[in-house]
Amino acid sequence: MAAPIDYGAFREEVRDFAMTRCPPEIRAVVATYRKLSRKVWYPWQKILFAHGWGAPGWPREYGGTGWDLKQRHIFDEVMAECDCPPQYHHGLRHLGPVIIEYGSEEQKRRFLPGILNGEDWWCQGYSEPGAGSDLASLRTAARREGDEYIVEGQKTWTSHAHESDWMYTLVRTSKEAKKQQGISLLLIPLNSPGITIRPIRTIDGWHHVNEVFLDQVRVPVANRVGEEGQGWTYGKFLLERERLGGANVAPALKNLERTRTLLAQELADPRHALKRSLLEERLLMAEAELRGAQALGQEAVAATMEGRPLGLLPSVLKLSTSVTSQHVAEIALDAMGERLAPRFRPTDAAGANAEAPGIEWIQNYMYGRVRTIYGGSSEVQKNVIAKQLFGS
Amino acid sequence: MPFTAKPIVGGDAFDQACEIGRAADAELALLADAADQAACLRRHWDAIIGLGWTTTAIPEDAGGAGGDISDLAALVGGAGRGGLPLPIATSCGVLPHLLVEHAEVLTALAEGRARIALVPAEAAIDNAAAAPQLADGRLTGTVVGIETPPDPTHALLVVGDALLLVPAGATGVGVTRYQRIDGRPSADWRFVGVAVDPAWILAHGEGVTHRAAAARDLGALLTCIESVSAAGALIEQTIEYLLNRVQFGVPLATHQALRHRVAEMYVEYETLRGLAAQALRSVGAGDPGAWRDIAFAKLRLGEGGRFIAQSTIQCHGGMGMTEGLQAIRLARRIMMAEFEYGDRSVQARRLLDDAARRAA
Repeated sequence: MAAPIDYGAFREEVRDFAMTRCPPEIRAVVATYRKLSRKVWYPWQKILFAHGWGAPGWPREYGGTGWDLKQRHIFDEVMAECDCPPQYHHGLRHLGPVIIEYGSEEQKRRFLPGILNGEDWWCQGYSEPGAGSDLASLRTAARREGDEYIVEGQKTWTSHAHESDWMYTLVRTSKEAKKQQGISLLLIPLNSPGITIRPIRTIDGWHHVNEVFLDQVRVPVANRVGEEGQGWTYGKFLLERERLGGANVAPALKNLERTRTLLAQELADPRHALKRSLLEERLLMAEAELRGAQALGQEAVAATMEGRPLGLLPSVLKLSTSVTSQHVAEIALDAMGERLAPRFRPTDAAGANAEAPGIEWIQNYMYGRVRTIYGGSSEVQKNVIAKQLFGS
Repeated sequence: MPFTAKPIVGGDAFDQACEIGRAADAELALLADAADQAACLRRHWDAIIGLGWTTTAIPEDAGGAGGDISDLAALVGGAGRGGLPLPIATSCGVLPHLLVEHAEVLTALAEGRARIALVPAEAAIDNAAAAPQLADGRLTGTVVGIETPPDPTHALLVVGDALLLVPAGATGVGVTRYQRIDGRPSADWRFVGVAVDPAWILAHGEGVTHRAAAARDLGALLTCIESVSAAGALIEQTIEYLLNRVQFGVPLATHQALRHRVAEMYVEYETLRGLAAQALRSVGAGDPGAWRDIAFAKLRLGEGGRFIAQSTIQCHGGMGMTEGLQAIRLARRIMMAEFEYGDRSVQARRLLDDAARRAA
């Protein structure tokens, strides 16, 4: 029998690695809420890969670490505590496990190494203008022609498409009575003829999401993962694996600590005494909620390791941490807003004061509004919770 | 199958406490006369003493059951769910903690000969009234809203750095007894130049202050566990009501606004449960920072517990304004819990001071 894992020692090992090996300029990007892009992620993924930690969630045989769930949880926590970027997730956490589970040997050989060493960058082609929370209503169609599919349609909210090489894409390959049927998963190179990527201007002023238009795009049948018509199953497999995502409250707690420091610095002048104490109290209330979520996150990890069902924990965690993170961002906004909010510029705007020091707090507030919308909106989560609680 | 809350610590003690709580709550609900209610509470108190609840946390060498914090959690959790309007957290947890070096008093507590009300240093006083003070061997001052066992025989006071056990019948002690809004026996205590028998001073010095602070944290933790348990029952009963109450031809449970309100109650409940369970683990592990976990739990109880209680009242419509439903009686209990062992402002002050200390 293997020796029991010393999680305390593991935590120290990860911390030591993070503090000594993650370049300060990368940590500074995280600490100051600047946009994470491929330019920042790529060198960090290289460092992790070289250390054998490229894919914490994958089995050893595919170059993963073989860590258990608790070790992975600790890894994520420590990374957040040390201001290291969370690893770019589309390849590692989303597509990789699907290929490992359902992909052909050829697909594993072709795609896994590039995800692991950071050379291939992936984005997710799921949402469409008419298919948001109701993803199964997607209409982007793939028609078979010989050993190719001809793909026609439009994807939207496609994060990082502008800096990606590939898009794993849910497409409709047949029209069935049940809309979850007839969906397939295709791996599409973004340099294929017929693809147009247009940025979406979002309220936070960052370019992260795009519209992706697919006009008669030819995709080899060999780029289909698993069976034709089974794409929904693979998509659900991916989401199931992601259900523990909300268990990591460390980034939110780290953000809270940064905000506490901000209050002390920004509102140090005695004329701000009342504002400071009001905001500090609000921050404390947020901390209590986050600590509650943290305890639930640990429960979720323990339950998964013991093979017990998670029940409503993922929905509760998503709902509560998203709202609390927004509260924290609001507190920072209230601390800085009077002098900085007026200087915040729309997307790509230049001019005087466009880069005012501290402006990232305003941007972070704007960006934070998405937390209760993506990944299953708060309203969807409440529907899920109520359905379970009421028994129907 | 609609929602059923799981106890933080379950087991026989939980089930027994819950059953007794329900029985007492149901009997009390039928009694309109204050004297009848007091007699009913006394009967249940004596039964609890007979069952040895107050011995739970008393060490074995002092004749107790030598239980730990999780045994207390089971007991207060069950009592909370059942809605037992008696001072279980105080009598079974906090008092034994304060009296651990005083075997004779512990024995009297365990045997039911002493029914002790706790008057902590931070007990509430009316405006312009003076908090109890001990000077020249005399005790003077007035405290209000003190939770008591039925027919209290003594008050255990923390005055300055002294721990003082004062007989309720001593000359100069005035006890005005009444039932609190959550149905618990309660009293205002007035001490007018009470000549303090040196034997009443159980201890004094820094040890008393420290022990009293730890006892307050223990009380806060048990109050949280009790309230979380009550909150779970509230959600169950609210769901039950919404499933069965038909208006405009459909059960209320079909309306999304109400379903979402219940989902929000559940998220608050889970957050509170997570905080209370975490604090319980910290205390069990002897973590020196456990007080912080307790303070966060109690802080959140003030917000989240009240949200659950108020939502319960709201979801029950007009019935939510009546005393007729157990859910509503439990909602009042959660409302009162806020004011026991340090309210939100007390906990916030401690935590903010701590954060400032750490930042410095």
